[in-house]
Amino acid sequence: MSAGVELKDVSVTFGSFFAAKNVNVKIEGGEFFSFLGPSGCGKTTLLRAISGFQDPSKGQVLIDNKDMLGIGPNKRPTSLIFQNLALFPLMTVAENIAFSLEVRGVSKSERMKRAGELLELIALEGQGDKKVHQLSGGQKQRVAIARALAVEPKVLLLDEPLSALDLKLRQRMRTELREIQKRVNITFIYITHDQGEALTMSDRIAVMNEGELEQIGPCDEVYNNPLTPFVATFVGENNPLFGNIIDVNNGEAKIETSDGNFISSIDKSTKLNVGDEAISFVRPESLFIIKNDNKFQNKFRAKIENIEFEGNVKNFYASLNSGSKIKFSVANAIDTSEIEINSQIELGFDINKSIILPKGALATE
Amino acid sequence: MKSLFFTQPFFQKNGKSVALFFLVAIVFWFIFLVIIPQLYMLDLSFRANIPPLERGGPKDFYTLEHYRHFIFGSKTSADAYNFVDLGVFGRTILVSIFVTIANLAFCYPIAFYIAKIATPSTARLLIVSLIIPFWINELLRSFALRILFANEGVINNVLTGIGILDQGILFITYDVGLYTGLIYAYILLMMFPLYNAIESLDINQIEAAKDLGSSTFRTHWRVVIPHAKPGIVSGCTMVFMLTVGALATPVVLSSPNTLWFPQLIYQWFNLNDNWSRGSAYSIILLIVSVVFVLTMMRIFKVRIGEIIR
Amino acid sequence: MRSSYAMNFLMGIYILVFFTYLFGPLIIMSFTAFNSAEFPAITPWECFSFRWFNEGKIAYDGQHLAGLLTDWRLHDGLISSLIIGAGVVCLSVPIGMAAAIVLTQVKSQLRDIYYSISIMPVLFPGVIIGISTVVLWDRIAGLGGGGFISDVGRNGIFLTILAQTCFISTYCFLIFVARLQRFDQTQEEAALDLGASQTQVFFKILIPYLAPAIASAAVIAFLASFENYNTTVFSILSDQTLTTVIASKVRLGISPALSALALTIIALTVIAAVTYEILRRRQERKYLESQEEFVKEKAASSRVNKDYKAGFKVPKGIVALILLVIIGSYVATQIVKNDLYGNSCIEAADTLKKSKFLDQLQTLESNQLSDEDLQGGSLGGNQDYGDIFGDPTLFQDFGGFD
Repeated sequence: MSAGVELKDVSVTFGSFFAAKNVNVKIEGGEFFSFLGPSGCGKTTLLRAISGFQDPSKGQVLIDNKDMLGIGPNKRPTSLIFQNLALFPLMTVAENIAFSLEVRGVSKSERMKRAGELLELIALEGQGDKKVHQLSGGQKQRVAIARALAVEPKVLLLDEPLSALDLKLRQRMRTELREIQKRVNITFIYITHDQGEALTMSDRIAVMNEGELEQIGPCDEVYNNPLTPFVATFVGENNPLFGNIIDVNNGEAKIETSDGNFISSIDKSTKLNVGDEAISFVRPESLFIIKNDNKFQNKFRAKIENIEFEGNVKNFYASLNSGSKIKFSVANAIDTSEIEINSQIELGFDINKSIILPKGALATE
Repeated sequence: MKSLFFTQPFFQKNGKSVALFFLVAIVFWFIFLVIIPQLYMLDLSFRANIPPLERGGPKDFYTLEHYRHFIFGSKTSADAYNFVDLGVFGRTILVSIFVTIANLAFCYPIAFYIAKIATPSTARLLIVSLIIPFWINELLRSFALRILFANEGVINNVLTGIGILDQGILFITYDVGLYTGLIYAYILLMMFPLYNAIESLDINQIEAAKDLGSSTFRTHWRVVIPHAKPGIVSGCTMVFMLTVGALATPVVLSSPNTLWFPQLIYQWFNLNDNWSRGSAYSIILLIVSVVFVLTMMRIFKVRIGEIIR
Repeated sequence: MRSSYAMNFLMGIYILVFFTYLFGPLIIMSFTAFNSAEFPAITPWECFSFRWFNEGKIAYDGQHLAGLLTDWRLHDGLISSLIIGAGVVCLSVPIGMAAAIVLTQVKSQLRDIYYSISIMPVLFPGVIIGISTVVLWDRIAGLGGGGFISDVGRNGIFLTILAQTCFISTYCFLIFVARLQRFDQTQEEAALDLGASQTQVFFKILIPYLAPAIASAAVIAFLASFENYNTTVFSILSDQTLTTVIASKVRLGISPALSALALTIIALTVIAAVTYEILRRRQERKYLESQEEFVKEKAASSRVNKDYKAGFKVPKGIVALILLVIIGSYVATQIVKNDLYGNSCIEAADTLKKSKFLDQLQTLESNQLSDEDLQGGSLGGNQDYGDIFGDPTLFQDFGGFD
């Protein structure tokens, strides 16, 4: 059983500081939804508002279309997985998992039976009598999840649960979490600053910056059609080309930069006029080395500054005539051995693989 | 009980029954056990000394009589001031200061040694050895000293037995016993703050100072002691306060001619049955304690949380 | 170079002197507990005996000096001390806990004031706390007419429990504050999130976490109450606790029974401390073992699988212990050999003293003595029959309290 969550114009203020500002989100039941953003962007605040630890200063939190105002965290149909897991160190694994049943007065035998079932679900059968400190990092993760699922919540909230794990474990847990979610069919609301995580696991993501929602949408949409420079540079990598608009026409715009004029697509919601300052964004994987083809409408010259071998791709760092730096990547399968540092090359990109946005703040590293 | 005092609504955060328990416990403690008795005692100190039956009657009035008596003595005496009581008071304070300083001087080398020079196992042993004597009641410790110092005590017996002296030294009468006992009583309270404060000093600082040519004395004066200042202040404050208010040790070790101020209070209270006057003297003692603590805090810029263990 | 050796040497001497000063009186006092003489002394050593632990004696001059086991005042005082201790624990541990928990919930601006108020009782001299409690309740009792309030308000045990709770709550408070500082707040939130009510969070999460602090607070509260004198002597009114009994005994007459008492307390404390240390080590070892098992499971390769031998580390103190036993047995044999032990010795000493006393009595009656003779000249004077009558300062305590 799952429930939808809706945030209607939610703002959370501490004094004069806006932790969250006018956030409007509608999350469907059964969705895997992620809030993505840098630290301090307000995603934890929203999570606490949904779970009941923080009252919104303005706006409403609705779960299953019911206003949650005045309903405490212990009465909401949500379960929260904390960043530090917050497992109870003085209890055994089974007692941890069965805790939510214990506080509801379920009998001991019932509780332990259910705990056993959940232990099977997370592949830790027979480990119920262990103490928390005897578990490994990944095992603790799974116990936290089992504990949260014991009462069959309608919404599961996860606060950057994988940040403390090493890379391989993180990747494995990503898949596991997704599988668990599909199996139990509960709405998962996930917050993270790692865009790779968000993209691989979620149905939809919401990108946040400084308390405000920048964009919501399915992962590929947000990736391919960012609506603000922040989203463009936070989700995935992007090369900005700064300039001024000289023409706008039917879903495309022409930008004049010190490295040349480029034509890129624009989103129908973007309002740009001739003369406006703008940025054309093109992803590293969308820049191609021109080899006697004239396929590309957009071209410019660059000088290679640095080459980085990453395994499956090769990253090239180059500088343009104006001094701007760009990065482009070529799959390892393609031979690029003739390119060296200080080589002069010509790069091109497609109109519909680049996007022009009004000038705005980029995501800082 | 809302956001006026607390970060979260009080009854909501704790559950009703638990919150009620908290409230009752704290109010009972602060108001009923701490504040009201002191206020009442203060009030009593300003009243005349009358038998309980006559309370509320015409003889029950406010007066500064007791405080006046402390300074000026009884109306029938010829002296200008109450030299006896003032003498006891003054001596108590002066001797307490002396005891505090002596205590500090004795404990500092040991604290430094344990904190910085001794190996960890030696340090542990020494610390345990320090604690052991203080498991024993102050009265019994003072009693042990009395056995030593009495006119027929061990020290005198040994000295006369060997033949160094013909007659015993009157330790008790000359208050040597008392002073020794007072220094002895609160060593632990000086030692541990000192130890903790010195322990936190990085030994490299001391070595650096030595390396730059500083003598041992100067190293201590300029490097160690400033760092240990909170510990020193804490230790001195606790020792002074406890010494000024000491009753157990003076009961055992003082000679009848030299009273300690709390003994004076005891006299007024239990022997002369003058509770008002006893209260007045208690207030005086309390004022001394509080003033001292506040002064120390102000002079050395130490906060109250750092003074308590 | 040389100066540092000299410094270390001096420091060593100083430490030795310091610890002698610390332990010396106690060790000497312990020895006097076994001397059958009526005044605690090492020299002259009359006889080795356990009398001060048992029956005491009725001196030839009519004075009854009780031994530990027969002293009813001590027993009464002990029982009162235990009752008061229990009462204080029951009050101050919950109060301290409540105050500490509320401290974590108070707004940060108020926190300093709150903390200072909680610390205040420790800054009051103990006598003041005792006096103020007594005067307040005396008034309350007076207002309450005759009856329960009036009885309670003048009951020494009740008053002492209240007075001691005043400042012992602060000790408990500090213990709980320290323990709470390391408490992970998210556990409370997790419990709430899982559906627990506030009250359930308190009992199922907070209290189990505080359990060790509750235990240590209880122990500290009990010990602090048990050994308190300054406050108790005022609030106990007509009753007695063990400490006030000791104090009055010390004032009325010094007897080795007190040395015996002190030695008993020392022995009990040392035994308790050693037991506690052993138990603690054992628990630590169990914890480490469980950790090791966990590691062993993880590292299934046999190279890491060493056997954990439950060893018993022999402390270096075993040498000192053996030395002590040797010395002790030598002394014991000497005592038995020289007949300094046992009833025969005591009887002999008593008859000697009795005869001396009777001699002096006769001399006094038969002779006209000049003043100087009476003042401790060669005729017996102060040396022989103990200090009870001899110590001029003894009965003249402050104001003649008897």
